[in-house]
Amino acid sequence: MRSRITTIVLLVGLAFGTLALVPRLRGYRAPGNQRGYEPVQPIAFSHRLHAGELEISCQYCHSGAEKSRHAGIPSSGLCLNCHRTVTAPLGVLRAEQEVAKQENRPPRPVVSPELKKLYDALGLDDKLQPDPGRKPTPIPWVKIHNLPDHASFDHRAHVLSGVACQHCHGAVETMERARQVEALSMGWCVNCHRDSNRVGVIGKKVNASTDCSTCHY
Amino acid sequence: MSGESARNYWKSLEERDGQPGQTAEPTDPARWAGLDRRDFLRAAGFLFAGTALAGCQRTPTRFALPLVDQAEEIIPGRASYYASTCCACPAGCGVLAKCRDGRPIKLEGNPDHSLSGGGLCAVGQASLLGLYDRLRPRQPLHDGRETTWAVVDADIRRRLDEIRRTGGAVRVLSNSITSPTLRASIQEFVRHFPGGRHVVYDPVSCSAILDAHARTHGARALPHYHFDRAAVIAGFDADFLGTWISPVEFTAGYRSGRVPQGTPPRMAWHVQFEARLSLTGSKADRRVRLAPGEIGLTLSHLAARLARRAGSAFPDDRLEDAPVPAALLDQLAERLWQARPNGLVVCGSQDVAAQVLVNFINHLLGAYGNTLDVERPSWQRQGDDGQLRELLRELAEDRVAALFLIDCNPAYDLPGGDAVRRARLLVSCSERLDETARLAHYVCPVPHYLESWGDAEPVNGVVSLSQPTVRLPGDPRPALASLATWMGHPATANALVREHWRRHLFPRQETRMPLPGVGAGGQAAAGAPARDFQAFWDQTLHNGYARVRPDRIAVRPFDSAAVRPITRAVPAEGDTFTVVLYPKVGLLDGRHAYNPWLQELPDPISKVTWDNYACLSPTAAARLNVRDGDVVRLETTAGNGSSQPLELPVLVQPGQHDQVVAVALGYGSQLSARFGEVGPAWLEGRPTLGPNGLVGVNAAPLLAWEDNTLRPIRPHVRVAATGRHQPLACTQSHHTITVPQHLAPPGHERRPVIREFTLPLIAPPHHEEQAADLWPEDHPMTGRRWAMVIDLSTCTGCSACVMACQAENNVPVVGKDEVRRQREMHWIRIDRYYSGAGDDVDVAHQPMLCQHCENAPCETVCPVLATVHSAEGLNQQVYNRCVGTRYCANNCPYKTRRFNWFNYPREDALHNLVLNPDVTVRSRGVMEKCSFCVQRIRESRGAAVQTACQQSCPAQAIVFGDANDPTSRVARLMSEPRRYQVLGELNVRPSVSYLGLVRNRPAAGGGPHHE
Repeated sequence: MRSRITTIVLLVGLAFGTLALVPRLRGYRAPGNQRGYEPVQPIAFSHRLHAGELEISCQYCHSGAEKSRHAGIPSSGLCLNCHRTVTAPLGVLRAEQEVAKQENRPPRPVVSPELKKLYDALGLDDKLQPDPGRKPTPIPWVKIHNLPDHASFDHRAHVLSGVACQHCHGAVETMERARQVEALSMGWCVNCHRDSNRVGVIGKKVNASTDCSTCHY
Repeated sequence: MSGESARNYWKSLEERDGQPGQTAEPTDPARWAGLDRRDFLRAAGFLFAGTALAGCQRTPTRFALPLVDQAEEIIPGRASYYASTCCACPAGCGVLAKCRDGRPIKLEGNPDHSLSGGGLCAVGQASLLGLYDRLRPRQPLHDGRETTWAVVDADIRRRLDEIRRTGGAVRVLSNSITSPTLRASIQEFVRHFPGGRHVVYDPVSCSAILDAHARTHGARALPHYHFDRAAVIAGFDADFLGTWISPVEFTAGYRSGRVPQGTPPRMAWHVQFEARLSLTGSKADRRVRLAPGEIGLTLSHLAARLARRAGSAFPDDRLEDAPVPAALLDQLAERLWQARPNGLVVCGSQDVAAQVLVNFINHLLGAYGNTLDVERPSWQRQGDDGQLRELLRELAEDRVAALFLIDCNPAYDLPGGDAVRRARLLVSCSERLDETARLAHYVCPVPHYLESWGDAEPVNGVVSLSQPTVRLPGDPRPALASLATWMGHPATANALVREHWRRHLFPRQETRMPLPGVGAGGQAAAGAPARDFQAFWDQTLHNGYARVRPDRIAVRPFDSAAVRPITRAVPAEGDTFTVVLYPKVGLLDGRHAYNPWLQELPDPISKVTWDNYACLSPTAAARLNVRDGDVVRLETTAGNGSSQPLELPVLVQPGQHDQVVAVALGYGSQLSARFGEVGPAWLEGRPTLGPNGLVGVNAAPLLAWEDNTLRPIRPHVRVAATGRHQPLACTQSHHTITVPQHLAPPGHERRPVIREFTLPLIAPPHHEEQAADLWPEDHPMTGRRWAMVIDLSTCTGCSACVMACQAENNVPVVGKDEVRRQREMHWIRIDRYYSGAGDDVDVAHQPMLCQHCENAPCETVCPVLATVHSAEGLNQQVYNRCVGTRYCANNCPYKTRRFNWFNYPREDALHNLVLNPDVTVRSRGVMEKCSFCVQRIRESRGAAVQTACQQSCPAQAIVFGDANDPTSRVARLMSEPRRYQVLGELNVRPSVSYLGLVRNRPAAGGGPHHE
């Protein structure tokens, strides 16, 4: 009798526990797996707009990818190559021009709130000239793709042998806010290395080593 | 086997005599808690589970901060190399500073530099760490309190104006300065004051050599030695491969003559006469123990023999009998005479009369202009002990109004040097708060050479630049800029150096100036003189150095009238000893005592770390009834400029003269007081510092004045045991690959670890005996197969590779106590073997690192596959898999694996900037070992790759490369007849092999004594 009560109590407990845990289990990941990580960035930079709509090449900004182990986050100065003239979304600029034409006055400078953050970080004044009173500071972008300290990944080897950026980073050109798509776990790396050795990368034969010291040293 | 001598090798006297070695007793970590093993494991299990649960947390947010404005040549993750000049000692070797993410992380020798030729010594390698020293003063100090440059400058200029009105004596004191700009600047500064003088001294002085040349050649200059041209070398107490003047350059030159070449093979012959066993003596073909007082007499005998051959007059009738065998002197004289003008005699003595004899011998050999050059002299030592003594006298008589110290530390490295405090104005331009800076009224911090502009002309005609590679917090100012400010025309160091170069060095540029890296048809500028100054400057900055027309100095023909024979030896008095003070490889004169890497570097001969000690010969130690670590008291006898008695632990050193106590300089410096916290903090830890709160004892007070030279020799010193014991952290019996005699199977008491040959070199053709293999041949290495060959003949044991590896691979410092427990972490060690019977010993140095065995014993025992073989022949250690069973280390026949017993302190954020970002910092509980610099292999992506140890080696003894490429140097060396594998009989098939040691001596005999 008593054992039955105990069983019932335990089962009820288990059911409640499961119910309580279900919402959390949905987001379950193995420790260290950051798949789906999509942090808020200090500036709402849109990869969809830049890489997707405007079709700017990945390596225009991440220029280290074929020269260095790090692809690199572009320096704020690089953004100014375009954003010295493009200070707000095109639609907003056009609208201001329309209004200015109607009111018969020169268009007022329009700066989008997100780009304002960029200009502030660079220490620029309203006319986008360096303001001697302000010190340029780097923008603290939140790093999305993190590898553990004991693993070293070399962008060069992958980019130069023809692996597409999207292979590891997902379809970044469709993301409004950048997100980690793949698990970046060791098994995921090694499987790709094995497959590449078998079938090659874009039709070329490659030597994707699976030695430990390829990544761990 | 003809040409090869079979002999016994031993690492310590205990090993030779079959006694157990002296090491710390192993302690069981579990015993102190009063638990038995099972309870311990049980508790550990719960603790582990608890910690794992408690450790669960969200992944921390990481930020990626890009540069605000990225210069085109800066690519994050890629290293840039800037050519510069090493200023860790006055030798002025060329370096390339490897910079990652805006800071230097490693120094490499500049392979194009015409003096150092690509090598860099241990001190140069470690000097990088000085840049990231938290304890350097950041602001100028006035009486110990921080102040600003404006205040200091105003004060000093006011005091100088007063002095100019009242006419007091102004002196500038410095060590040898190779910078032509700084030297000119100081000259200009002292000219502002009537009677102003610049006094130069060297803690390890060569003043007698310069004085002797003043007598014989009429020019006070240090000749530039060309060891590469010498076929017969006789060294008298000159440690030219270890610490004397310019060891990297000399090692490179010496090496070129020491590789057997031609048929029949020939190599330079080297005889060394010395009191203590030095690095140079350990490489000599014939080494003779000679007391310091006997050098002059021996030189006289040699001079007499050569004068007879040359038909020169030399009064040799009143000479005492030679203290060395006459047959040896005959042979040396004959060989020197036959080899002329390619003979070379060098002498480290501070006795001017002896140095005059050396000049006479070199003159008779016609060596001037060939193996040594006094017309185009070296600036690496300029010290003038006579002027120094005059300055000390002035100070004692309170006649100095202002004394400016430029990067020197007289209060520490001179006997009675604290007299500098008697100057009415004492200004110290110094990098650190050393003994002298603490006495100074004003401390003007100078920057590290990697963060400021500078220049050097170490040898007449070779000029080089040093350039800033980083700017760290703090506001140091180069002495150059300080002097300019005090003279009233402030300028930056860059402007001053440029101006000096424009005026003085640009006109001296040579017509041929090679531009490395540019092919024959590459650029018209190669080989042509630079058109304008900017081109010359840019080219020099790029190359790191330039050859300019030497400023030939006026030299008289040799003056034979100055030569006087030294007719007698200084006799030993009763049972007293002569103390010989020497700079140690690594610490030199103590200017690097702040450097933990150098403090933990085992001495190449004694293998002791973290201490200085009194070396005694085995005979002397037996006479005094003392053993290693027994503390003795060194007492100078009265009437001999007596000083405080020194108490030092004994080290019994085979090969040392019986009446000599050798003590290293450079210890007991206030700069070493910082090491109280070095090493892990744990229950059983014992302090690294000695009873005086410092590392070692300062022996400089024993330096003695004689005939206006400061001599590192102090005769008539009484040595007595104190009865105390102070164990030394000596690594010589750690990680030994020889088997203790009582454990060895019969017939295997001695393992053939070293192979040695004599000339004429008739080595048997090399064939590897392949024993039957347990493993199937299913791992063909068809791609690259990394291999290394180390030439024991050219390796001098200088330990540059050890420091290079430490810097490259983030090897931690563990402290004295951990070293005593055999837990030093160096990935490459240099095993030093003695051989021979009696007190005269031969020495062999063998760099020992992970051998990357093809049949690696470590790999088969790892339960978690943390150490496995790569397809390119590397034995890989995977830190994140390792669980720390240490089975691999136990099963390694070469004992090259190192275990992280602790998380070695990495709390100093500034210090951590030196870490190589390409190499994992290992944590507690993980095994580590040499990786063949796999990060460099990865970075080079198949192109020519050099390991850190290979790059740094001044003797080019280490060759690394692809053994499967028949055109590679390593593949060619692997088919040399001298090549062998250590412990090859185990059939572990190491990828590292060695070329046997060749001694230039006849095959007969086998002991070190035959002729």
